[in-house]
Amino acid sequence: MLWYKAWLETRARFLVSLGGMVALSSYYIYNEAQGVGKYAGLDWYYTALHTGHGLIAVMWVAAVMFLIMGGLLREKVVGTSSFTLSLPVSRARLTGVRILFGLSQALALAVIPWGAMFLVSIVTGKATSIHQAIFHVVLLAAGGLVFFGVALLVSSLVEGEYTAPAVSFGILFADVIALGDRPLRAFSAWNFMVGSEYFNRRTELLTGSIPWIHVTVNIVLATLLSAIAIRVTDRREF
Amino acid sequence: MSDCPAIETIGLSKSYGRMEAVRDLTLFVGSNCLTGFLGRNGAGKSTTIKMLLGMVRPTAGYGKVLGRRIDDPAESVEIRRQVAYVSEDKRLYGYMTVEQTIRFTSSFYADWRTDRVAALLRKFELPLDRKVKSLSKGMRTKLALLLALARRPKLLILDEPSEGLDPIGVEQLLECLVAQSSEGTSVFFSSHQIEEVERIADRVCIVERGRLLVDLSMDEIRQSYRQIDLVFPFEPRELEFNLMGVESVRTEGCQLRVFSSGNTDGIVERARAYHASSIEVAPVGLREVFLGTVREKSDALV
Amino acid sequence: MIFPKLASTSGAPLYLQLMQRIRHAAESGALQDGDQLPSIRALAEELVVSPNTVAKAYSELEHEGLLDLRQGSGAFVTLSRRARSFMDHVDRARERVSELVDALRAEGLRDDEIRRVFEAELLRAAPARKR
Repeated sequence: MLWYKAWLETRARFLVSLGGMVALSSYYIYNEAQGVGKYAGLDWYYTALHTGHGLIAVMWVAAVMFLIMGGLLREKVVGTSSFTLSLPVSRARLTGVRILFGLSQALALAVIPWGAMFLVSIVTGKATSIHQAIFHVVLLAAGGLVFFGVALLVSSLVEGEYTAPAVSFGILFADVIALGDRPLRAFSAWNFMVGSEYFNRRTELLTGSIPWIHVTVNIVLATLLSAIAIRVTDRREF
Repeated sequence: MSDCPAIETIGLSKSYGRMEAVRDLTLFVGSNCLTGFLGRNGAGKSTTIKMLLGMVRPTAGYGKVLGRRIDDPAESVEIRRQVAYVSEDKRLYGYMTVEQTIRFTSSFYADWRTDRVAALLRKFELPLDRKVKSLSKGMRTKLALLLALARRPKLLILDEPSEGLDPIGVEQLLECLVAQSSEGTSVFFSSHQIEEVERIADRVCIVERGRLLVDLSMDEIRQSYRQIDLVFPFEPRELEFNLMGVESVRTEGCQLRVFSSGNTDGIVERARAYHASSIEVAPVGLREVFLGTVREKSDALV
Repeated sequence: MIFPKLASTSGAPLYLQLMQRIRHAAESGALQDGDQLPSIRALAEELVVSPNTVAKAYSELEHEGLLDLRQGSGAFVTLSRRARSFMDHVDRARERVSELVDALRAEGLRDDEIRRVFEAELLRAAPARKR
């Protein structure tokens, strides 16, 4: 029943985010598709798709940071931690369910809007290769996983009803600004998500095959952050 | 009464930096009885309960609930399976409706009694489809109580259960606690409302500044605790009345008030020996025991 | 039988008070031989007292011979010979107290003064038998 609780707790936020993301990205691509016919060629369209991806990335990060808002520490501020902690479940399980559920919601928020965008591009006759779509989604998800892990860890460390997402945003900005420049760019999760490294300006496509090693590193990092979050919550006093 | 105490702690302590919330608490709460847990605000009642349920880790000492250790995480989960707890703030998930909250909670406990839920909903007049965040404090309290009372746990722990309830609600609560007790559930409840504890408790434990001061049965208090008011034709010396059974003595001019836990005869005899002009023995309620011991002994604890 | 609430602040344990009330009901005829008393749980809920109090009262009354506790069925009033003689005892005591109260009133003591004297005497434990 912990899944049921997680769903009821995040239902509104999830549906609003999903709806917003699907609507905005679909509208954007639809708009661009109309423009392509009149003013520019297919190249322009692929750039638009890439920009649409950027748009989704921004919305995704914002959505996930608000979705992950919760957990025992926030419940302590709100006052329900006594109730949750009196349930006959281990803290690891409480945090674990929250992580897995959040993760599935985050993945849905990556796949569904992109899928909608892809559908719109097919419908408007401006096809794009499925390889490109998958490449983008993988970058989004793998890069996003790191932010997911960060947001999760922050929500287990920072007390306050809305302070945790604020801090997570701060970290995101730090990533974008501090790691934006050349030498450190490879380490920036944001850049990875947005795919700047792989985007070839001339062909307007993501080049090469999907960088599975980098993806794996990100997954490991996210798992590590989650493990720390579980451990931190386990040791806390309520 | 079965042999295994419902709750036992030995030297249980909790400090937050230099502040000692609970000091060397050694407590034995029997099973199959109703035990009241009294104390002032900040005396350590809630902290003790949180330690028993694994929410806070003790800094020293050891405790067992229903025979299981409180400091072992796996045992702690088992403890919570058999214990029904109502916290002081009684907050529940605002985003769930009454019905969803009941459905959610019932899924965790094998001792859930579905037949009781309907009766309790009617008794407490709780609307099923209302969201918890839009319930009044009284209704939220009743819902929190319902979630514990719709079970048949081995132990029921309540922290200030009547707070936020109107007099009818309080009466309903006491009836439910008595009903639970008659089905074999041990009940341990902390309260500020001395009258409520006095009515239904079999035993009372009083804590002050983290220490256990009193652990008595209500029968004993009613039978043996007395307030003896004496008037003498001269100013008496307090020291003459430091007899066995005397808990505290107060003098004011020619009047002497003795608060005793026994040996009433001996004290009255001593008073007669000193030619007291008036001897009045009166029974003592839980309020006097509480005020008497807390005031007297808290000075000694400083 | 209608049970009045017990006085939770008084000099006597609740179970003793309950026993007195039941005895009084049996003496006065409110309870007849063979009548069934409420179950421990029902009476505890009605009076809002601990079920241990009711259990103890019933158990002591069974010991005195006034109640018969049948496993599974409940508590039944049995005005046995032992109980009857005990009640005669109480009747005779009441007569004596009645005479004493009349005498004290005749001496000019008010009722509340008389009550206080009785209460004070009762609150002392039974004195050691002199002589």
